[in-house]
Amino acid sequence: MLNEGRFDLLARAPLLKRMLQARAFQPALMLATLAVFTLAILTGLAGTPAGSRNFGIIFVWIVWWALLIVVLVPFFGRFWCTVCPVPAPGEWLQRRAIVQRGPARPWTRGLRWSRRLKNMWLQNLGFLGVAVFSTIILTRPNVSALVLLGFLLAGVVLSALYKNRVFCRYVCPVGGFIGLYSLLSPVELRVADPDVCADHKTKDCITGNEAGYGCPWMVFPGNLTRNVYCGLCFECLKTCPKNNIVLNLRPFGSDLMVAKERRLDEAYKAFIMLGCALLYSVVLLGPWGWLKGWANMESLPHWGLYALGFVAFNLALLPGFFWLAVWGARRMTPARQPMRRLFVDYAYTLIPLGLAAWIAFSVGFVLVNGSYALSVLSDPFGWGWNLFGTADAAWTPLGATLIPFLQVGILTAGLLLALNTAYKIARQHHAHHRPAFLAALPVSGFALITTLGFLRLYLG
Amino acid sequence: MERREVAAWVAVGLIVIGLPSAVLGYQHWLRLAAAEQRVIDIQAYAPERGGFAPDAIRVAVNEPVTLRFAAMDVTHGVALGPGLGVDLGHIDPGKVKEISLTFDRPGTYTYYCNTWCGPDHWRMRGTIQVIDPANPDLLPAAQPDPVIAALIAEGVDIDAQHDAGRKHGDAPALIIERPPSAQRGATLFGSVTIPPEVSDPAWRRSHPPAHVLELLRQTNRQAPQADLIDVVAYLWTTDTAPETLAAAESLYNKNCAACHGQTGGGDGPAAGTTAEKPVAFADAAYLFERRSDVLYAKIRRGGMGTDMPNFGTLFTPEETWALVEYLWTLPVSALPEPR
Repeated sequence: MLNEGRFDLLARAPLLKRMLQARAFQPALMLATLAVFTLAILTGLAGTPAGSRNFGIIFVWIVWWALLIVVLVPFFGRFWCTVCPVPAPGEWLQRRAIVQRGPARPWTRGLRWSRRLKNMWLQNLGFLGVAVFSTIILTRPNVSALVLLGFLLAGVVLSALYKNRVFCRYVCPVGGFIGLYSLLSPVELRVADPDVCADHKTKDCITGNEAGYGCPWMVFPGNLTRNVYCGLCFECLKTCPKNNIVLNLRPFGSDLMVAKERRLDEAYKAFIMLGCALLYSVVLLGPWGWLKGWANMESLPHWGLYALGFVAFNLALLPGFFWLAVWGARRMTPARQPMRRLFVDYAYTLIPLGLAAWIAFSVGFVLVNGSYALSVLSDPFGWGWNLFGTADAAWTPLGATLIPFLQVGILTAGLLLALNTAYKIARQHHAHHRPAFLAALPVSGFALITTLGFLRLYLG
Repeated sequence: MERREVAAWVAVGLIVIGLPSAVLGYQHWLRLAAAEQRVIDIQAYAPERGGFAPDAIRVAVNEPVTLRFAAMDVTHGVALGPGLGVDLGHIDPGKVKEISLTFDRPGTYTYYCNTWCGPDHWRMRGTIQVIDPANPDLLPAAQPDPVIAALIAEGVDIDAQHDAGRKHGDAPALIIERPPSAQRGATLFGSVTIPPEVSDPAWRRSHPPAHVLELLRQTNRQAPQADLIDVVAYLWTTDTAPETLAAAESLYNKNCAACHGQTGGGDGPAAGTTAEKPVAFADAAYLFERRSDVLYAKIRRGGMGTDMPNFGTLFTPEETWALVEYLWTLPVSALPEPR
């Protein structure tokens, strides 16, 4: 039953509700992140090309990334999307307002987004596209700045052409995986009673009213059963005249069991995220210097091979092995569902595993390189400034002895959650414990082997 | 429009236009305009990516100036010469070091990288022209080096393939079975007859040790060759003060060791990149056939076709001589006590 076992934060904390209902709440946070974002672009374009001394590299790819993948996504779901500055300029131009409720007609061409693109495939391809260039983007401030600027411009252009947040919903490569991994988060925005929404004639959460806009993410809160596409903008909280919106605390991973909305594009997002975490670990942490050279574009033909291998691994090889595991499960305990359905359903097993892999991977380089943040805070451009007296702070890797233990713990937790998810998904296909247990075994084996692969890379 | 809406648009303007304008305006205009003295920003890229930018600057005599060097890609080291005694040490990527100085006479100086930063490291140089504001187009003409001029007048070809027509690596004419010991040479010095001209340091600079060894053989027919070699080693390593040698060692390590090796083995990390294999100064048989003045000329003028750069625009003649003296210590196993 909806909201059963949930803890409604808004009912318990009226101050939080008032804050989230305030029109200035989201723009104030966006302005703050826009300032940091602008500085990141500026330092990338005008500052030192030395990545370790450039604010744009350190604050985007270490500080922001750590905050996002270790804290925000696992614990707050899509909260980053609440404060993300990338769509802000486009949205403000579209609305011709920042804080107050703007004119009813948005300033846009109002084109219709193709039905074929109403899924995660663009985000999947976008993420892969960024990922194959990642060793360049993550280390060269000017390239990094151009990518960020490209995101910003894409947001503005799409806002000018289409209504609402088409960029966030269908294009943003970051938004795609945040949405997928927010299935795990212990925070959800839902409605208190779906019948109230069903009976509500004007559907203000979709059409908007004087208090706020219709959902920019094109989601009807009354039907909301998963976090994936809710951007936590809280417009519905402002517009709902029935006081029917709730913000719940809930157990981790609750959305993984929502069977009816599982889709192939989301399943592939899970493969791509897991595959990228694995390949990054191989390239950046593995002992194969030649592979690093290939990824760093030291020669174009070698990089071409690397990119081809990277894409093939994510789109064919990893899903192919997983397909075999699911095929094995189907052979062991025949299920009524078609193979494609089982493949998609079981792929959600990889969501907790993928997030754990990304956290474990990130913990390693964030603790090792995090101290650069002190230095670039005082000298963001590498121009010899010393704003806060920390410009000469020495690089100090943290927790060198602790990192392997953290990584083992995180990966083990991810594996356990994945095994649990595999079994629960199997139970959705099999009424009894034994066939479900057997059906979950091949997928669990896949998860175990993948985890052992990560451990081998991290522990050497 | 509501006040907070106006405030929000103002904030956007400040962030998107104000922040970049303020930062860039400060760094590229206000900071320079407000400085008490002229500030010149010099970016240091590896030579393959352009070297110093700018690579030539002009300052006026008695004009206080601050030079700010920023390493843009890899670790560089910056020193200024000749004769300025300025060495800023290592500058890590993204870091900046600066020096304030005032030039008291017109002339041409060089800022150069003295930390190995890439295959073309030695090309990483910039020029400071110090001009007299009264005659800005008149720079002191470069004076010919008297040592090099004398060698040319004598008919010595500095670029001859390590004279004697023998290439480095060929079997040496002189066989030296163990590293010469200058310390032992010092104890033997009193028991050996030394031709008068050999006692003259200026004479020794223009004659190779091998030649002196031959003279000693003629005047000390009973003495074993190993003893005479040690005496020669003593003669060639005893004239320079220890502190001068220490300074020369530092110069050698920063500017020469990348190719010639820290111990003079000709096996520095960049040895494989040069057109010709770098000379191994630690090879006593090879070095004993060299003249100090030719080594001096080679350092100051560079070696044609060998990738040996010129250091005459970086070091003073005194520093160059000290460097030559240091080279003589490289093949020697034990130095004598300082006199």
